[in-house]
Amino acid sequence: MSTTPALELRAVRKSFGPVAALSHVDFAAYPGEVHAIVGDNGAGKSTMIKIVTGIHRGDGGAILVNGEEMELRHDASQSQDRGIAVVYQDLALVECLDISTNMALGNLPYRWGVFLDRKRMDAEAAAALKDLNARVGDVRTPVGLLSGGQRQVVAIARAVRMNKPIILLDEPTAALGVQESAYVGRTLDRLRADGKAVICISHDLEFVFKHSDRITVLRLGKTVGTRTTADVSRDEIISMITGATPADTLQEAS
Amino acid sequence: MTTTAPAERTVHPEKSEASRTPILRTILLRQETWLLAVVVLIAVVASIRNPNFMNPDNLVEILRGSVIYFIMGCGAALLVIGGGLDFSVGAIFTISALVGTSLISQGVPIILGILAALAVGALAGVVNHLIVTYWHVPPIIATLGTFFIALGLSALITGGNDVVPLPADFMKLGQGSVLFIPNVIWYGLIIGALFYFVLERTRFGINVRAVGGNRQAAVGNGLRVVRIDLVLYILAGVTAAIAGMIYSARVGAGQVEAGGSSVTLVVVTGVLIGGVSLLGGLGSITGVAVGAVLLSVIDNALIVAQIPPQYNNVVVGAILVGAVAVDHLRRKQLYKPR
Ligand SMILES: Nc1ncnc2c1ncn2[C@@H]1O[C@H](COP(=O)(O)OP(=O)(O)O)[C@@H](O)[C@H]1O
Ligand SMILES: [Mg+2]
Repeated sequence: MSTTPALELRAVRKSFGPVAALSHVDFAAYPGEVHAIVGDNGAGKSTMIKIVTGIHRGDGGAILVNGEEMELRHDASQSQDRGIAVVYQDLALVECLDISTNMALGNLPYRWGVFLDRKRMDAEAAAALKDLNARVGDVRTPVGLLSGGQRQVVAIARAVRMNKPIILLDEPTAALGVQESAYVGRTLDRLRADGKAVICISHDLEFVFKHSDRITVLRLGKTVGTRTTADVSRDEIISMITGATPADTLQEAS
Repeated sequence: MTTTAPAERTVHPEKSEASRTPILRTILLRQETWLLAVVVLIAVVASIRNPNFMNPDNLVEILRGSVIYFIMGCGAALLVIGGGLDFSVGAIFTISALVGTSLISQGVPIILGILAALAVGALAGVVNHLIVTYWHVPPIIATLGTFFIALGLSALITGGNDVVPLPADFMKLGQGSVLFIPNVIWYGLIIGALFYFVLERTRFGINVRAVGGNRQAAVGNGLRVVRIDLVLYILAGVTAAIAGMIYSARVGAGQVEAGGSSVTLVVVTGVLIGGVSLLGGLGSITGVAVGAVLLSVIDNALIVAQIPPQYNNVVVGAILVGAVAVDHLRRKQLYKPR
């Protein structure tokens, strides 16, 4: 493991009016690891991701990408520029646009400055999906006509295609069957092999234990602790999630 | 991969599902199909009442009459596809035409007068955008407000008098023809082609669909949605100004009574019956073109075939309701949770 985290959060806080979604989140993910984030519903996992990608603006704390601080106020395109790709829990697909357009959204290929390069868009989308071994049919199918699982695969393929050093996935297997989940698992393994920092939120502890290197537990907007997957038991993680195990005092990061 | 034009895919998503969706249903769900059927029906009735209706001169007149609605409809449609709405276009039409023609009648070079009118339209768009974005006023209310403000200002600037006379060179722009086709129709064709191209073949056009189709997803993908909104409101304002100047050149005056609420209503109606979804994301420029022609056919049939206006109103109302119902079907297919 290299010494500088690819993505680090230090004491990040965020309130929505009276609701303190995050009160103190410390987190560090390194290149070449799959880092799982687990926690109960409402623990703040999605909020944490959205602060990193700029959908929400953190109230305090620091976000560091490769050791360089990123302003808390930034937008999604700036987080892309800093090398972060993301699969949101709600997938962020536009239903009325087709698969290839959705996969290129925010970064549409063009020729001569203005013309949309449809051919390239279709070819890249088809290649990315084939890479994931995904069967979603014609890339010109509007996303609104796809099943939940197919949409999830499209969203994952989009993030993988962006080929960024940091990739965040929020519940990527929620709508998937056993076989499709296995694909996603293999995709994570491959991304790790490529040296990327893979951060994956999941409810599915079996999936987490099978594919992650480390696990960070969030509870009620706070980091409870980070464990090496190989050295921790399922029960320990569950007791961290439920609060039976108290939070580690002062993380190494602070 | 198939050879179907990309435009067709995004606008009529059911097409790509040809294997699952019967072709007949596909055609019936296409807005243009219905509109053309109604156009033909009215044309048949009108020509029975007055054979001159099908006279080439009259057909050209119908197209000429549709241009004003169509040009404004292009800007308005893009805005609605992007998730916005502009009720002020009728008043922007009025005020920008009055500003432009006033300057021209006072000896300002024609081109500068036209640019000034466009600037007024753009400014109105910026104001609409600011109100909607930073004051969080819903577009329908915000633009209704600017509608009244612009209309009031129009009367104040001119003291309620039409701007006449206008130089012959300016009027020629609205009255001449090239290759036997009236200039006015050329303007519609050029602007329509431009908007079609922008919507279907450029990054901006796709981003507009994305913003209107799912704003949250657009933000999540790093689209600069506020900037896109701004451009859309400006385009709606500028197309209204263009239409205002074309109309003034055609009638040879800056008219205080031209534009206003009736033009707003016709433009918004034309856009909606043209198959543009009020909820954003879906719609096409070709649909808007057919919608504008339909409204012009109705106007014309009223005069040429003396079909009484109450019938036309019933027809327009029925088509509008039908269009929104069809839109609901399209959306249900695309946006149902799975
Ligand atoms: N946009 C929002 N506005 C208000 N409250 C929010 C918003 N997003 C999340 N929350 C609240 O923040 C807390 C954490 O939510 P979230 O990050 O979605 O949890 P998780 O993804 O871990 O299930 C919850 O109490 C939730 O209700
Ligand atoms: Mg969540």
